[in-house]
Amino acid sequence: MLVLRTLERGAMHGFGIALSIEARSGDKLLVEQGSLYPALYRLEDRGWIASEWGRSETNRRARYYRLTTAGRRQLAAETVRWTTLVDAVARVMRPADDEA
Amino acid sequence: MRWRRVFGRSRIDRERAEELQAHLDLATEYYVARGLTPAEAARRARLRLGNPRAKREEFDEMTRVPLLDALWRDLRFALRVLRRAPVFTTTAILTLAVVIGANAAVFSLADHILLRPLPYPHPDQLAVVEGNISGGGALYENDSVNGRMWEAVRDHLSSADAGLSSGEMGSGVNIVVGGTAAFVQQLRVSAGFFHALGVLPRIGREFTRDEDRPGGPAVVILSDRLWREDFHGAPDILGQSVLLRGEPYQVVGVMPPGFRSPRVDADVWTPLRPTTTGEGAGTNYGLFIRRHDDATWPQVNADLDALATPALFDGVGRIPDGGRAWLSARPMQDDLVQDERAPIVALVGAVVLVLLIACVNLAALLLARGSSRTKEIATRLALGASRRAVVGQLFVESLVLAAAGGALGVFIGRGLLEGLQSMGGALFSDWTFAAFDGRVLAATVALTFVTSLVFGLIPALLVSRVDIGHAMAVDGSRVVAGGGMRHGVRRGLVVAEVALSVVLLVSAGLLIRTVVNLRSVDAGYDPHGVIAASVSLEDARYSDPATVIRLFDSTVDRIRRTPGVESAAVSLGLPYTRLLNIGGVRFDDEGNGHIVNCSYVTPDFARTLRIPVSRGRGLRESDRADASPVVLVNETFARLYSKDRDVIGRRIQLGRTAREIVGVIGDVQQAGSGFLIDGMTEGPIKTTPTVYLPAAQASTLFSTHIWFRPYWVVRAHSTSVATRAILEAIGSVDSLLPVADVQPMGDVEAGAIRQQRLLMTVVGVLATAALLLAAIGLYGLLSHLVTERTREIGVRLALGATTGQAMRSVVWSGLGLAALGLVVGGLLSVPAARLVQSFLWGVAAHDLRTYVATGAFLLLVAAAASLMPALRILRFDPAKILRA
Repeated sequence: MLVLRTLERGAMHGFGIALSIEARSGDKLLVEQGSLYPALYRLEDRGWIASEWGRSETNRRARYYRLTTAGRRQLAAETVRWTTLVDAVARVMRPADDEA
Repeated sequence: MRWRRVFGRSRIDRERAEELQAHLDLATEYYVARGLTPAEAARRARLRLGNPRAKREEFDEMTRVPLLDALWRDLRFALRVLRRAPVFTTTAILTLAVVIGANAAVFSLADHILLRPLPYPHPDQLAVVEGNISGGGALYENDSVNGRMWEAVRDHLSSADAGLSSGEMGSGVNIVVGGTAAFVQQLRVSAGFFHALGVLPRIGREFTRDEDRPGGPAVVILSDRLWREDFHGAPDILGQSVLLRGEPYQVVGVMPPGFRSPRVDADVWTPLRPTTTGEGAGTNYGLFIRRHDDATWPQVNADLDALATPALFDGVGRIPDGGRAWLSARPMQDDLVQDERAPIVALVGAVVLVLLIACVNLAALLLARGSSRTKEIATRLALGASRRAVVGQLFVESLVLAAAGGALGVFIGRGLLEGLQSMGGALFSDWTFAAFDGRVLAATVALTFVTSLVFGLIPALLVSRVDIGHAMAVDGSRVVAGGGMRHGVRRGLVVAEVALSVVLLVSAGLLIRTVVNLRSVDAGYDPHGVIAASVSLEDARYSDPATVIRLFDSTVDRIRRTPGVESAAVSLGLPYTRLLNIGGVRFDDEGNGHIVNCSYVTPDFARTLRIPVSRGRGLRESDRADASPVVLVNETFARLYSKDRDVIGRRIQLGRTAREIVGVIGDVQQAGSGFLIDGMTEGPIKTTPTVYLPAAQASTLFSTHIWFRPYWVVRAHSTSVATRAILEAIGSVDSLLPVADVQPMGDVEAGAIRQQRLLMTVVGVLATAALLLAAIGLYGLLSHLVTERTREIGVRLALGATTGQAMRSVVWSGLGLAALGLVVGGLLSVPAARLVQSFLWGVAAHDLRTYVATGAFLLLVAAAASLMPALRILRFDPAKILRA
């Protein structure tokens, strides 16, 4: 979901995605960058993202990932599910005085 | 996407490696930009990425199709393991190749003959019409019909088309093409025969009703083979005239290539010209029908039933009081294969048994190997392999063995099929048409897989049942994996192996005794040095009896004058072949008619074959047409039909002529008399009540030349002299009379019992293979039991048991298992022997002597197999064993 969210803003290569997630989470989520790739491949396999070789800003060959339509739908669905979950957890975690 | 993973693996791998490298490059660049030294940056990049190897593997795991990959890995491992045990591997593969090959060969026969539909369109609509008579608790079925039945079916059965032929009585006839005479197979068929069969001539037409009546035009249809070979595929063949049976016949059609008429693989078809008298008075025709598309079999059978009046059965058989007679349809395939089903089923049974024995053997070998691999397997389990993975691995090893065996088996199977065809082709012409084709190949592949399941799965399951802690803690070689359970299975395998062998050996034993019995039967004559040869006199030039008698006289005279020839004669039929039978033969002073075999012979017949004249006199040259009618009878005739009175001098009524019995000659063996009466034995050969007429007085029998052929028998100093004498004599009298079936009398004799010999040979060879396999298997199993009990025996010896006691316990346990196997096998043999029962002669299917002899023999083998491992105990040193 994090990856999908990151890619919502446009195509990116693997390292870029890792950096972006780290930066956006305020360095709270430190991705083991290696683990990112299996995740990417899995998402690609499911058809949520697509990839092709391209050139980085420094003119290096890199594989770029972008969100597909199916991926966009999936992201929307997951966002809803996530907010619902967060909501629910938050409600459970609220101090006990609310109960009365 | 998936297929890309399977086939495009290397490309994906390369791309992913490249991507990881790109990542490292980008990251390094990023850190350098952040002010790190390039070396530090590279280190940082790698650190953040994690272990690249581990990542690679993780990707690999993802990209693979798990099952296929596990299989591939198992496969490579299996190949490695098997390569390391070349003796085991070679033995296993060869065993499998032979048994799978044998199964494939027999399957191709079974498939061709029993399973594959008949080679005619919509074969399920074809049926043979049978005449049935029931009553008094007996049912008489006859798949031949008479002329009246044919006319009734042809004219009144509205739910099916009908075709008639001379049935299995195809006959060899003479054909002259371009001045050369040849002997070809002929089948006489009715008008509408090919239409009902569903295959019409490719050139020309089939016979018309006008051609299919007595005195109709002489026309012939040729087979594609004859047309191509003898007429060079002449396109203007229609209307040409060929000399057939001594008369010009006009060609009206050529059948398509590969066409075979039911029962008879004929080269020429001529009109049957059915009648209701003469030939048509008896059940001498084969009648089949093709059900109309809109009719059903019950409907057809009801129609047949309705038109079957008792009058149709006149002369067929007496309908008992309260009994009934009717016509019925029997599926054509069912009818055609009835004689071939039993031998095929017996063969299938035998090869499947050998396959099972081989499976048991291999399972035992794998189990034995499994014990020595306990440690390896325990290690793998301890390292986290799932039991499923271990079972899979072990099973794949079996699969590899079976696949290799199966591949080799295909070649062996082709060879075996050819062998079977050359052995059985003369007996069952159908066999020669079986081919090792795609169907057989597919069946072989399936069989190979099933085989590997049968012999591989149980050992795999058991061997993988290892107590890891135990196996690892103690020296693995001393622990028995699977423990008691495996012991039980191994004992079961010993029992199974013995039992299966018993079944095969008993059947082989019964067949061997049959052939021995048949061979040791007193033939009644001396076949040594006698050559027999035949011609077809179903020939217009020989329709006059005087011509036939002239042919016999002049050829016999000429042969007799050849230097080196001892004596010569002509007879209708031969010993060990089927003779003409005639009913209603009665003494002129008695009421009841008798049924007899009947032959005509020239005077020197008994002398040539050295058949003793036991009473009265033999035939003389003076027994000519103008002399008083005489006849010889054989011992069986005298014994069965003239018990109380001397048969010599009595007169019997044969047809319209009363003949005086002037002599009794010895019995000779005949095949298939076509009837069975009290006092005769049923079997492939037997002595039947027979009468011999002097050929010169037998012109009434010459009309049977459409079914039976005269044989020249010649006794000479050497068979080549005899053969040459026959060929020269017949050739000089009539150069357009082709001589057929030139063979030593010994071959005629062998031919009569070849079905039994064929089965005996095949089952015997299979039984020998089974015995060999069983002996090896027993030895292997028992020897392994001893190895596993080494420690136990060591303890016993140390505690004071003598070597003898230890050996006895091993041998006894082996023999005990074998004995149990014998009992089980004996019980299984009873139904199995029923499969071969119809081929037995002079021995009962439950013949105790055969069973006991087989049991004793196997017990001996089992004793030897258990004694050898027991002898190892002699070399045991308890001190060493216990310390080990």
